[in-house]
Amino acid sequence: MAERSYFGEFELMILLAVLHLGDEAYGVPISRQLEAHRGREVSVGSVYAALERLEAKALVSSSLGDPTPERGGKAKRYFRVTNEGLRQVHETRRVLTELWRELPQLKGERL
Amino acid sequence: MNPKQPPSLATWMLEHLVPGERNEALDGDLLEEFHCGRSTVWYWRQALAAIAIGCLREILIHRTALLFAALWSMLAPAWLLIVANIEQHYNLGQRFWQMDWPWSTLCDLGLLLGVNVLFIWIGIVLYLLPDLWVAKSLGLWRIGKGILASLPVLFALWLALIVLSKIFLTGQVVDQHSVAPASTYSIGDVAPIEIQQPSPAEQWDVQYGDKVTDPYINPRNAILDMRTTTLFVRLPFFLCLLCTLWGISSHSQGRRSRIIA
Repeated sequence: MAERSYFGEFELMILLAVLHLGDEAYGVPISRQLEAHRGREVSVGSVYAALERLEAKALVSSSLGDPTPERGGKAKRYFRVTNEGLRQVHETRRVLTELWRELPQLKGERL
Repeated sequence: MNPKQPPSLATWMLEHLVPGERNEALDGDLLEEFHCGRSTVWYWRQALAAIAIGCLREILIHRTALLFAALWSMLAPAWLLIVANIEQHYNLGQRFWQMDWPWSTLCDLGLLLGVNVLFIWIGIVLYLLPDLWVAKSLGLWRIGKGILASLPVLFALWLALIVLSKIFLTGQVVDQHSVAPASTYSIGDVAPIEIQQPSPAEQWDVQYGDKVTDPYINPRNAILDMRTTTLFVRLPFFLCLLCTLWGISSHSQGRRSRIIA
């Protein structure tokens, strides 16, 4: 298996949300997306903390947009998944899918 | 309050109390969400969560400095006890008081400050030595910067703690077992509690006589001593080391830890 750095459940969700949002991936829609799928409130601060960790691992990159009046003149920070991030998402998906497939056979339980 | 505006205190806290680099994008995101119909309570929750997350992140980044400061300050009572024994052995206190003023005061203060500052400086050098040795990322100027930075921090802390101890600890009476180590640790008059001083002969017998009757009087027990008074003695050393190491390691170690985290 290729060398990779592990990320947690929350980080994986954020990576998927960023991928899903494409060019519109900044704090607000990412948080809304997570809230919609998780069914509970998300701290925007924790989203940024996770995104900074992912950026430090070079799995996402960010760029500042233009300041807008409705945001008090503060710019949006857009995120996009890097090629390395995309590779690791696919790798994680492959591993998780294999594990899920094997789980019912091992346990014999309904999931 | 204008319902279109978020609570100003929460905004101020968000802008000033989140440690580390300012995240204007986060401020803007919260404002945008608030204008889209989120409640004031939601805004407060988000602001407080952002502050808590920021603090936790900073603690994680500086965890090595935090741990080192805690461990090193544990040794402070033993250090003070050893120095007090040396001072007593050479009868330095009496020699100083026999000098003319201002030399008596200067020597006494010099010893007091020197002992405390030296302990902090040794800690700083020990903390930075592995980085200097392995990563070659810190120069000698950095150690010097840390050593200089520790002085005002330590003096400010002393002043604050002396004032606090005057307010909160005056009038407390401690038991006989507390007398020797507490009086010995309070070389900096950090905890000027009301204690019954044993005579010099008694102190000598206990510390240097054949029969050591007080189990507290040795460096090992001083390190393990967890009484409130002793913790209070450790506090300025801990805070001074933490502030200094936090400051000087924020760029080098901080960056590395952020990547590791």
